[in-house]
Amino acid sequence: MSINVLMLRNLRKNIRNYYLYVFALVFSVALYFAFVTLQYDPSMDAVEGSIKGGAAIKAASVLLVAIVSIFLLYANTIFIKRRGKEIGLFQLIGMTKGKIFRILSAENFILYFGSLVLGIAVGFSVSKLILMILFKIMGIDAIASLRFSTPALVQTLIVFFVIYLLIMLMNYGFIKRQSILSLFRVTSTTEGNVKKLSFFEMIIGIAGIGLILLGYSISSRLFSGDLTSMTELSISMITILASVIIGTYLFYKGSVSFIFHLIRKKKNGYLNIKEVLSLSSIMFRMKSNAVLLTIITTVSALALGLLSLSYISFYSAEKSAKLYVPSDFILTDIQDAKQFKEALTTENLLFTEKITEVIQVDVNIENILAENSKTLGMMSNNMTLPVISENSLEGIDLSPDEAYFTKTSSAMENLISMKDQGGIEFKGQHEVIPQFYKRIDMEAPVLYNFTGGGLPLAIVDDTTFERLKKDLDPALQRKSSLNIGIDMKERASVEQANELFQNMKFAKGHITDSQLETMNNQKQTMGLIMFIVAFLGLTFLITSGCILYFKQMDESENEKPNYTILRKLGFTQGDLLRGIQAKQLFNFGIPLVIGLLHSYFAVKSGWFFFGTELMTPMILVMLLYTALYSIFAVLSVFYYKKVIKESL
Amino acid sequence: MVILEATKIHKSYGNKLNKQSVLSGLDISIEEGEFVGIMGSSGSGKTTLLNVLSSIDQISNGSITIEGTEISNMKEKQLAEFRKNHLGFIFQEYNLLDTLTVKENILLPLSITNTPKKIANEKFENVARELGILELKNKYPNEISGGQKQRTSAARAFIHDPSIIFADEPTGALDSKSASDLLNKLSELNQRRKATIVMVTHDPVAASYCSRVIFIKDGTIYTQLNKGEQSRQVFFNDIIKTQGVLGGVQNEH
Repeated sequence: MSINVLMLRNLRKNIRNYYLYVFALVFSVALYFAFVTLQYDPSMDAVEGSIKGGAAIKAASVLLVAIVSIFLLYANTIFIKRRGKEIGLFQLIGMTKGKIFRILSAENFILYFGSLVLGIAVGFSVSKLILMILFKIMGIDAIASLRFSTPALVQTLIVFFVIYLLIMLMNYGFIKRQSILSLFRVTSTTEGNVKKLSFFEMIIGIAGIGLILLGYSISSRLFSGDLTSMTELSISMITILASVIIGTYLFYKGSVSFIFHLIRKKKNGYLNIKEVLSLSSIMFRMKSNAVLLTIITTVSALALGLLSLSYISFYSAEKSAKLYVPSDFILTDIQDAKQFKEALTTENLLFTEKITEVIQVDVNIENILAENSKTLGMMSNNMTLPVISENSLEGIDLSPDEAYFTKTSSAMENLISMKDQGGIEFKGQHEVIPQFYKRIDMEAPVLYNFTGGGLPLAIVDDTTFERLKKDLDPALQRKSSLNIGIDMKERASVEQANELFQNMKFAKGHITDSQLETMNNQKQTMGLIMFIVAFLGLTFLITSGCILYFKQMDESENEKPNYTILRKLGFTQGDLLRGIQAKQLFNFGIPLVIGLLHSYFAVKSGWFFFGTELMTPMILVMLLYTALYSIFAVLSVFYYKKVIKESL
Repeated sequence: MVILEATKIHKSYGNKLNKQSVLSGLDISIEEGEFVGIMGSSGSGKTTLLNVLSSIDQISNGSITIEGTEISNMKEKQLAEFRKNHLGFIFQEYNLLDTLTVKENILLPLSITNTPKKIANEKFENVARELGILELKNKYPNEISGGQKQRTSAARAFIHDPSIIFADEPTGALDSKSASDLLNKLSELNQRRKATIVMVTHDPVAASYCSRVIFIKDGTIYTQLNKGEQSRQVFFNDIIKTQGVLGGVQNEH
């Protein structure tokens, strides 16, 4: 048999084994090629919003390469170890190491570049689809056109060729290092020895769970107002990160075997088949994969968290826009408003106008700050708050010594908590006006520029307002004190009005804003981020799922003799398969649940900075992730099924 | 009472054009409570015979009945069912599960049959005490010696009181001290529990512990020896002689 035939035979056998590897490779190449194509695509200019679309995609493609190369290198270490015996045999029959390396390289070359070409073809054909998805998410009305970009092709080829060289370098090192004997032994030394649970491991196990819980409990208090200064805030953030990551590592290293050990102890030696296959094997194997599992859990928690947050932001875009810009259009200059109104009238668009005067006044809020906010270093007892008169609102009538505060933003609410009522003081330049304050359930009816993005707005009696106005501190005032809100009478005409608004030539530096535009901007920015995070997350999911699958493939082959024994003892294939299902439930389920929990607590601690809705977007993201992730667990069960069938 | 009856069993590998016959028309019958040894040179088909008798491998032709049940045409599921109730195994490589303790390994056959926990524990104590491995019950296989592993394996074979125990070169990987320990224990159990044991071995010393030794050559029974009332030493000498006649390649000229 010539070398070429040998090579082709190997290849045919490998493809059957490594179809998932080929799939992951094709997927990564396709995605990378599509991203790079987008990066060079002129239509991406349309995506220019508050961030540059092209730059963001470029950054994403760099991250993508990082994920993919780590995956490919890691997968390669698994594969080369599996073929240790074969390499040893070649050496035994007198092949030189150089020749073996050449065979492996050629084999890899065909497999790798075959996938690369396929990946580029797929990437080219789906790049239009991806662009369409992007446009759809961002709400851009542009037609995605299919263009083959040569620079994208060259870049993809170069990047993946470099990765190929790295893989070859690794294989070369592996072959060079091994002697014939050690190659025969290689698979048996990969997993840790089975040992009794030591006292030290018990401590590790308890510490792992303790650290994770500590991290969670700090995270839930992070923005509750207990923390008194910026330094404390950052220290506790670092503590959370450290304790959760270290805790996760210790969890895999010790806690899992500790918990399983307790369960086994309770069984007093009498295990059923499910327990034999799941408890006992996971107990020992999870330990040896602790680093890998920690990385997978942490990164997937990160991906899930980011995805949830960007989806929360995207999902709440409409609500947020209404909070920021409470009228359809808000202007702050009479001349601008006049111009815009004229434009609306010429187009026969009906509207209502409402002018609110907003002044900025120093307010002493010492008496109404809740106890736990008082010490907060960044807050002084004096706050500069926007004030409007009761006349600007319908249905509110106050006595001269009364003041209402509107709702604050949810982020602000988490940072400073105020009592529901109490005494405050308005401080003008010369006089101080004491007032009795009450909180009401109403959003501030003015543009967010006046409320500093989320401070409460004070509503006072008209006489008080006049007094404050006469005594104003000019240094505190905004460029304009007018909030000119224009609302369209018919919802249908908002879009047309918005077009007019965008085409108006307002004087430079005048603050104007449109609700629709704010919403679209947020949707575009968050849509782009979401798009990128989602695809990166998907790549990570697929690659890490593949790695877990490969590990399971390895494990199933290592455990094959066990299945032989069990089947000889009289367990049926069905019995064993049920045991394997239980095992995979833990094997894939534990990292998944830990990852989901991590991201849940991460999102929960700070979601209010991103939007107004927590549950729906987060649960949607998590469900999707779980579903995709489960595919790999199911695939691994099928592989086990094959191994069990062959075991007798 | 005859517990295992095999008549005219054939086993061949390969396809029609290139057939390699391993067992050719072999008859065997084993009484209840017997300790039977199967001997033969390498490639004589003794392991294949053990595999087909123990239902792990299928025969090409013939019939095998254990306790009156025909097993040669059972389905995979029925076979598994049959094995778990009627058969016990001891292997050369111990075949213990590394991730289970000694006790968990021994209790495996009982957990398949859902034996109540209390009875299981009693049975375990009995068999483990008889084999002298009770103190090892919480150790893992890699913490004990080869002889102890093989006794664990034997305990697993005996615990559910199977009709027949098949042992494939049980002393093959043991030093002579552990080997004689194990064989003494096996013949003790054979007598005390009236357990039927079928053991494949190529070691005449091991075979001399049996009550009957069957010699196989080229897939058929060459001869058999009964121990009867003679001492083990005499029986051993008989076995050696027979092996001498049996062994070697015939000169064709």
